[in-house]
Amino acid sequence: MSEFIPQLMQQLFNGLSLGAIYALIAIGYTMVYGIIGMINFAHGEIYMIGAYVGLVTLSVIGVGSGLPIAIIILLMLIVAMAVTAVYGYAVEKVAYSPLRGGPRLVPLISAIGMSIFLQNWVAVGQGARDMAVPALVTGAMQLDIGDYTITAPYSRIMIILVTVVLMIMLHLYIKHSRLGRASRACSQDLRMANLLGIDTNKIISFTFIIGAMLAAVGGVLIALAIGKLNPFIGFLAGIKAFTAAVLGGIGSIPGAMLGGVLLGLAETFAAAYISSQYKDIVAFSLLVLILLFRPTGLLGKPEVEKV
Amino acid sequence: MKSFIRVKPLALALGALAFTGSVYAETIKIGIPQPMTGPATQYGDQIQAGALTAIEAFNAAGGINGKKLEPLLIDDGCEPKQAVPAANRVVNSGAKFAVAHACSGTTVPAVNVYENEGIVAITPGATSPLVTDTIKPHYFFRTIGRDDQQGPFAADYILNVLKPKNVAILHDKQTYGSGIASQVRDTLSKQGMDIAMYEGINVGDSDYSAVITKLKSMDPGLIYFGGYHAELGLLLRQAREQGLNTQFMGPEGVANDDLIAIAGPASEGLLVTLPADFTKLAGNENILEDFKTYNRSPDGAFTMPAYAAVQILVESIKAVGEDPDKVADHMHQATFNTAIGKVEYDEKGDLKEFEFAVYKVDDKGNMNQLEK
Repeated sequence: MSEFIPQLMQQLFNGLSLGAIYALIAIGYTMVYGIIGMINFAHGEIYMIGAYVGLVTLSVIGVGSGLPIAIIILLMLIVAMAVTAVYGYAVEKVAYSPLRGGPRLVPLISAIGMSIFLQNWVAVGQGARDMAVPALVTGAMQLDIGDYTITAPYSRIMIILVTVVLMIMLHLYIKHSRLGRASRACSQDLRMANLLGIDTNKIISFTFIIGAMLAAVGGVLIALAIGKLNPFIGFLAGIKAFTAAVLGGIGSIPGAMLGGVLLGLAETFAAAYISSQYKDIVAFSLLVLILLFRPTGLLGKPEVEKV
Repeated sequence: MKSFIRVKPLALALGALAFTGSVYAETIKIGIPQPMTGPATQYGDQIQAGALTAIEAFNAAGGINGKKLEPLLIDDGCEPKQAVPAANRVVNSGAKFAVAHACSGTTVPAVNVYENEGIVAITPGATSPLVTDTIKPHYFFRTIGRDDQQGPFAADYILNVLKPKNVAILHDKQTYGSGIASQVRDTLSKQGMDIAMYEGINVGDSDYSAVITKLKSMDPGLIYFGGYHAELGLLLRQAREQGLNTQFMGPEGVANDDLIAIAGPASEGLLVTLPADFTKLAGNENILEDFKTYNRSPDGAFTMPAYAAVQILVESIKAVGEDPDKVADHMHQATFNTAIGKVEYDEKGDLKEFEFAVYKVDDKGNMNQLEK
């Protein structure tokens, strides 16, 4: 049993790096819902597009180009963020903003359609087969505890660090900047914010763009860590991230971060201590349980009926 | 209101249809449903390479009694839910013969369609016993072995050559993957081998670090994976990342270049069971020439079986004519000399014998057949 603690720590690390990705994507879901009350089902595809753009950037730069790896990764991130920002903006303008004000179900269906469109758009453009991403960041940090070695691959450490940094930056931005204040106002009451002179269209576009950029970072980092891409990875990741956002309280940004980490940990521990076969069951059962006792999620605000 | 039905264009269209009808009667259509998109596309490529080369070679030699063979490529995406639509497309095209499907999960539902419609179909790739065991078809055949041959073959190699202290078995929970994994498990445990773990993983997941950490602390002598290359590639890569250096082994569903691309250097040393290398079989020199002529590669687990499938169909049609009933009867009785050697069928459409071999991946990403 002397292996139990080190193995626990290793699984903790595994769960955190998985959860970090879910958190990055979940934020996009939660921000959009917080402001316009809509679930953007095409968000998972934005994550996938970010990953592909990162890979394309990498092949344009060339792996053997001699640039330091940190610069290459930075370039991949910047290009991916820029391209997905455009995608996020365009998707909002094409699929959602013309439908605002109508029944709530309609933009949802439009989102699903957009999701299918983007998957096949990339499949036609890049092929539906798996693509391999060269391993830029290799090696791992190793910690020996007794007989057991805890291995933390650098690519996963990078994911956790970047996610934490981005979360802090986003939190500070939302709290202290004018756009952040305006976003908070819109998420409290969109109509009122509009009447008070805030350009709500701009804020909505800003929300989509920020969400897309975060998903892009997640996509590039996961592509580097896992090494395999195909046009359909966005679907599964999107569902998990959406679950994470709901778990943490849809509409709450800290909730999305918490939900992401919790879901990653739940999945990993279920796979480790119960069985890989049932890890999804455990994760979703957790969701159901939490919603039973806290219907708005862990950090969610209760829906207030305005009289 | 003027009638929307204009007489002249309608007459022209009907006339054109009559023309197309007569053109079709000159060819013998062979439906080829296989994965053209999705993660298993490589297997579709292999089937196309084998079947199309054979069809083009036969057409160049005059076809069958002057009639050319016409291939119809249909995408099944290696997905069970696309199986029946793809099979229906074969039916609706009017084809009476097919070289059908690479993936067992797709073939099992499709067999019902071919059997009900009386279409003679041969699979060069589906190895699950369920394909022929569930309905015991009369019109469906294989040019590849079954997993209840491949599984015990792999298990024997593990027991007699590798002799690990225990074995961990993973599978992808799908028809093919869990099928072959359970075959290996059953054969091993009957011989007293300790099965340290038997667990399923999710297809399409990208992160397997939890199960790899578990394996690391279990430290098995061998890890056998039943499933396709997409998942095994990730398992290998993440295992090496975490410092798990155990020997891995897999069935023919993992053996292709995409695995090497995903796993990179972690794929070196992987053992796979595959159909024996038929390109080295004596008597296949003409066939290899055909591949060179039409600029396709004869390599790949399913390429020669697909070529053999076309050979069997052509020989049978030449012998008894185009009636699928007669062709099916003939195939159950006759012996054929094909690209995969001598072929004889039992009443279920399975091969009476089929040769598998063990291959090892080297550091250049090539799979080399190991001597027995």
